[in-house]
Amino acid sequence: MQNAYDVLAQIEAEGVPVAVATIVRVRGSVPREVGTKMIIHPYGRHWGTVGGGCGEAEVIRVGMDVIHTGRPRLVEVDLTGDVTAEKLGICGGIMEVFVEPWPPPEEHP
Amino acid sequence: MSRRLSALRASLARQEPVARVVVLRAPDRALVGRWMVIWPDRDPVGTLGVEAPLHEQAVHMAREALRRRRSTTVVLESNTGSPLELFVEVLGYSPTLLIVGAGHIAQPLADMGKRCDFRVVVVDDRPQFTSRERFPTADELIVAPFDEALGHFPFDLDTYVVLVTRGHRHDVDALLHVIQHPVAYVGMIGSRRRIRGVFQLLMAQGKLTDEQAARVHAPIGLDIGAETPAEIAVAVMAEIILVRRGGTGRPLSAVFWERTRRVHTWRGRREEGRRSVQ
Repeated sequence: MQNAYDVLAQIEAEGVPVAVATIVRVRGSVPREVGTKMIIHPYGRHWGTVGGGCGEAEVIRVGMDVIHTGRPRLVEVDLTGDVTAEKLGICGGIMEVFVEPWPPPEEHP
Repeated sequence: MSRRLSALRASLARQEPVARVVVLRAPDRALVGRWMVIWPDRDPVGTLGVEAPLHEQAVHMAREALRRRRSTTVVLESNTGSPLELFVEVLGYSPTLLIVGAGHIAQPLADMGKRCDFRVVVVDDRPQFTSRERFPTADELIVAPFDEALGHFPFDLDTYVVLVTRGHRHDVDALLHVIQHPVAYVGMIGSRRRIRGVFQLLMAQGKLTDEQAARVHAPIGLDIGAETPAEIAVAVMAEIILVRRGGTGRPLSAVFWERTRRVHTWRGRREEGRRSVQ
């Protein structure tokens, strides 16, 4: 599989600002391990997965916000919760996801 | 493309250990998202924009994470009171799946290994089998006598070896090479009867110690009743994932019910429910 940084280099060449989400910390049972990356693309051409489902939908929303503001965010994605609740992303754990704009702001011309 | 990104990608292309260190939390909000690239034995590229002592600490912690081959968050206390939180992303260590023998099982196994993020290497002495057409996704194809190829192979603790050559004699010769190294996994194909015979012979000849024999997964793979080459490849890959990630190797449903019964006796209730609906 292509690594995320090769994909980012390609995207940079296309000139479309994106956001990069990385799982940096996990507690309890979560779908993916620390270091897992996802690239959020403004036109929906996302790459990778942080586990799918509601948790990933939330990360994509944050990613869109980060693309818009150009400011990185650290978010907690809570996958605990009741089976009967509306939320269906029930893995039982919590993951912390860092979402950063790409290209990094300091590299803008 | 920035110098940092090119340097990072160059190391990844060469499969060298490298870490990306990024600021997650900082007293100065402007530092969040700053990043640099760290190697075990080279000067960093990029900077986090922090003072020298903090920078030194960050580099030290990143190298420590590289040594342990584990991505991690790190909190550094700064003079200003609020701490600096970093994420050290350790990259460049992909486990290697070494498939010895380029036959029927090797093909689907190489494909699966690649999908499971292994660096896949296939070795065989027959060029017509060890071809790009047969192994389009493999990272490396080695056409050489097994002895020669394995004698030079850089085995390490992240190497998973599958012995599936065309003849059991080759498997055994290869095994005697591989078993000298502390690899993560070594599995050998063969029927129970054959495996028993081979092990008895090797141990009688003093070529294999008890401890070494215990490390060999033979017959190879999980017991899922696999018949076809693709099914056998699934059984082998499942065993490798089990060794790498940990697990019981049993159906999750069985594990689930066992634990559930202990805690809630759901199944008990379900059975009761059939008798009297309350």
